[in-house]
Amino acid sequence: MSSGGGAGLYLHVPFCSAVCPYCDFAVVPADASRSARYVQALLAELELLGEEELSFDTIYFGGGTPSALSRADLESILAAARRSLAVEADAWLALEANPEDVDAAALEGWRGLGVNMLSLGVQSFQEEELRFLGRRHSPAEGERAAREALAAGFDIVSADLIFGLPGQEPESLRDSIRRLAELDPQHVSCYQLTVHEGTPFHRRRQQGRLLELGESRQGELFELVHSELAAAGYSAYEVSNFAKTEDARSLHNQKYWDHSSYLGAGLAAHSFSGRRRWWNEPDLERYCSRLERGERPLAGSEELDSSELALEAVMLGLRRSRGLDLDRLRADYGLNLLERNAAIIEGYVEDGLAVMDGRLRLTPRGLAVADAVVRSLNLDPA
Amino acid sequence: MEHIRNFCIIAHIDHGKSTLADRLIQACGAVDDRKFRDQILDSMDIERERGITIKSNTVTLEYTAADGEAYQLNLIDTPGHVDFSHEVRRSLMSCEGALLLVDASQGVEAQTVANLYLAMEYELELVPVINKIDLPAADIDRVSEEIDADLGLDPFEAIQCSAKNNIGVDGVLEAIVEKLPPPSGDPEAPLKALVFDAQYDKYRGVVMLVRVQDGVIRKGESIRLMYTGADHVVEEVGYLKLEKVATGTLETGSVGYVIAGIKTIQDINIGDTMTETERPAKEPIPGYREAKPVVYSSIYPMSSEDYGDLTKALDKLKLNDAALTFTKVSSAALGFGFRCGFLGLLHLDIVQERLEREFGMSLLLSAPTVQYDVTLTNGEEVVVDNPSFFPDAGDVERVEEPYIKASIMIPEKFLGAVMELCREQRGEKTQFDYLAVGRVEVTSEMPLAEVLFDFYDRLKTVTRGYGSFDYDALDYRATDIVKVDIMVNKERVDALSQLVHREKARSRAMHYCDKLSSTIPKHQFKIPIQGTIGGTIIARKTINAFRKDVTAKCYGGDITRKRKLLEKQKKGKQKMKMVGSVEIPQEAFIAVLKTEKEK
Repeated sequence: MSSGGGAGLYLHVPFCSAVCPYCDFAVVPADASRSARYVQALLAELELLGEEELSFDTIYFGGGTPSALSRADLESILAAARRSLAVEADAWLALEANPEDVDAAALEGWRGLGVNMLSLGVQSFQEEELRFLGRRHSPAEGERAAREALAAGFDIVSADLIFGLPGQEPESLRDSIRRLAELDPQHVSCYQLTVHEGTPFHRRRQQGRLLELGESRQGELFELVHSELAAAGYSAYEVSNFAKTEDARSLHNQKYWDHSSYLGAGLAAHSFSGRRRWWNEPDLERYCSRLERGERPLAGSEELDSSELALEAVMLGLRRSRGLDLDRLRADYGLNLLERNAAIIEGYVEDGLAVMDGRLRLTPRGLAVADAVVRSLNLDPA
Repeated sequence: MEHIRNFCIIAHIDHGKSTLADRLIQACGAVDDRKFRDQILDSMDIERERGITIKSNTVTLEYTAADGEAYQLNLIDTPGHVDFSHEVRRSLMSCEGALLLVDASQGVEAQTVANLYLAMEYELELVPVINKIDLPAADIDRVSEEIDADLGLDPFEAIQCSAKNNIGVDGVLEAIVEKLPPPSGDPEAPLKALVFDAQYDKYRGVVMLVRVQDGVIRKGESIRLMYTGADHVVEEVGYLKLEKVATGTLETGSVGYVIAGIKTIQDINIGDTMTETERPAKEPIPGYREAKPVVYSSIYPMSSEDYGDLTKALDKLKLNDAALTFTKVSSAALGFGFRCGFLGLLHLDIVQERLEREFGMSLLLSAPTVQYDVTLTNGEEVVVDNPSFFPDAGDVERVEEPYIKASIMIPEKFLGAVMELCREQRGEKTQFDYLAVGRVEVTSEMPLAEVLFDFYDRLKTVTRGYGSFDYDALDYRATDIVKVDIMVNKERVDALSQLVHREKARSRAMHYCDKLSSTIPKHQFKIPIQGTIGGTIIARKTINAFRKDVTAKCYGGDITRKRKLLEKQKKGKQKMKMVGSVEIPQEAFIAVLKTEKEK
């Protein structure tokens, strides 16, 4: 397996059997003919990426529901990527799957593709929470999928949980975490429910039919997630990501957080290299038809200046348990963070929100307010 | 001279002074209907909107009376508010008579009485006018009684009118001619003219408004301002008929304007006497008083980059507002600003509003303070108008604060509440008189400082808007003043420090803590807010830390959006004042100056 110094390739599969009411990703309801057309378009896009000079050591199938694609489709997409791009032979491969798509045949197929990390959208072990979230599987089905995936021999099985549902009691969250920990996956992602604009949840909130959990209760649950998972042997390596061992971390996702290069193919996928970020068409019809005309489906791009890069470096670095490399920040952007924010940072250390040990690291309580910490820091170069 | 009448209109706010002035101007044909607009003498937007007069103005009207003779009527428009009593005095000094306007439904109010006393001081002939007689709530009999009882004027002399609906306006004009005396003065004597106000004209410099007592002002002649001693050559002289009409001379007894090459308002003293350089008058016109600030507050720009703009704006305001004083101050919390002196709270309010509206400034003001006379233990005496400079308690021997005599007129049923209010405001010698059936005047000697904080709001509340209030300055009296500091997250916010009577220190400090804790947003750490006297905590509140503020997912497609949001939020923070690591929004500084509504 690769050491992780190369670029990452993200492949987006936008289809879901039904769209969850909280989801704001580029997702459309699954449909056989649309799906076939999309795969062709994605293959065409990969062909057009031939000029990329990057060398890739991770590939991530995200969605949507990549597990809804057939093995043959997944195979041809991977083959196209390898034909067109410099993908290392032992590139690390991850795939997102819904519990209801997990069966022996599927698991065997993904293993055959060389999937290292299988990420399962378990979300909760409470019946009514899964119903509220619009998921199509039961707690038992989630448990079964995880057990079978773990037995199938992937390097890493990861399970997603969502917390902070309206009215959620700490007890029900603790129960889900404990049931998950008993299954003993190598990796856990635990996301606070976020109500995004344009989603059914957002409309319901506007109509007063969805009462979000109060900020203080959310903080309580966030801390509960971190303490429960720590007790179960998972260490947080990012705000929402936990792993049993260093090797069980998502090699691909970490590239997003240290400004490594990544290339995204597929609907609305984002790419980044050097100072440039660009992104694809988010509309399925336009995405497909532009590729059918032989055009690259770009929707926009930005060139980041040093201050924007510095802000991103701080915002992304503070999300990680390893924290911010202050020396690198100074070397790359001329930003002496400590000098500019001595009193503020000292206050955070005193309050137990941060730790200073050559790097600036946030504690779990600090991670819970990481955005506010970033806002409070003066990032002007000295 | 026999055909000149110089007069003003005295009224409580909202009793229709500006409307009556408008009708008189229209009746005399001084403006054609096309160009007419309401409140024509009030040229500032803020005057028109609030329905108040801030600057004096004057208009010369040509009126042919019932006797067939042509008269020159000089209407001198004066501010009614006590903050501007100096301007009222000077305007009254320019007149021989006044119309005393009373609202037919509201009756006599505190301001009416206060201005009546002033008018009597200057021996003006008074004609009562009952306005708004066509209102359904008009009670002419009751108002007539009040004119008799409260003002001591003959109600049978009163003219009844409705300025708004142009009823009885002719009667008012006839009364001006018949009942008010013409000016007296010696045309041959050396020039003696009162400079009763001045306006600033971008192109012409200072335009002095004058009333000629003796002698004549002629274009091209050299005049002398007796207090400043400066000589100037008259460039232009004439009448104000809404616009300047140059006449070359201004005769004895007349009211008009003089332009004499004076660049800024600071070069003249309002109330000065103008005379001839060649043949100066022996004595100036008596009664000159300098308008001295009594209320002080520090003004800071919301964003420290705007300090330069604030400097320019104050310089410009000062051109037209001789009473405004300001000196540079620096606050640890708020950066550079100005310590400003005002004639009163209304004056402060107006300056703030003009800075915000006319100059687009976004401002922070510190709590208004009076001037304290402090005697130190070493015998030295200092005047303190800024809490930052209040000496250490150990060095203070004695403090005196200015007192006022408050006059409050109310319907009788609020008497108990108002007496109680006066007591709470540290009022002394509080007493009341029945003015008429059901109407009471309460007088009380109280510290000016008490009026500054929340008196108006509370009076309004306890009298449901029916109380009217006016005051006169009294003397300085011994007091027990302490300096209350406000600490936000253990840092003193100097702009929130204030000087308060010891008895009220705790409740004031609590008020500040309450207001700050409800207007400062939660931070990612706990923020203690404390009120202290000399380091001892007398009030405390805590803003709890928020516990959750982080985006759950931050992957490839989320980063740009997240960064842009942070950039936007960081920009929003520039509208906050940073005290240590606490962001204090502008509204917090405003909220502390407002009182709770009575519960």
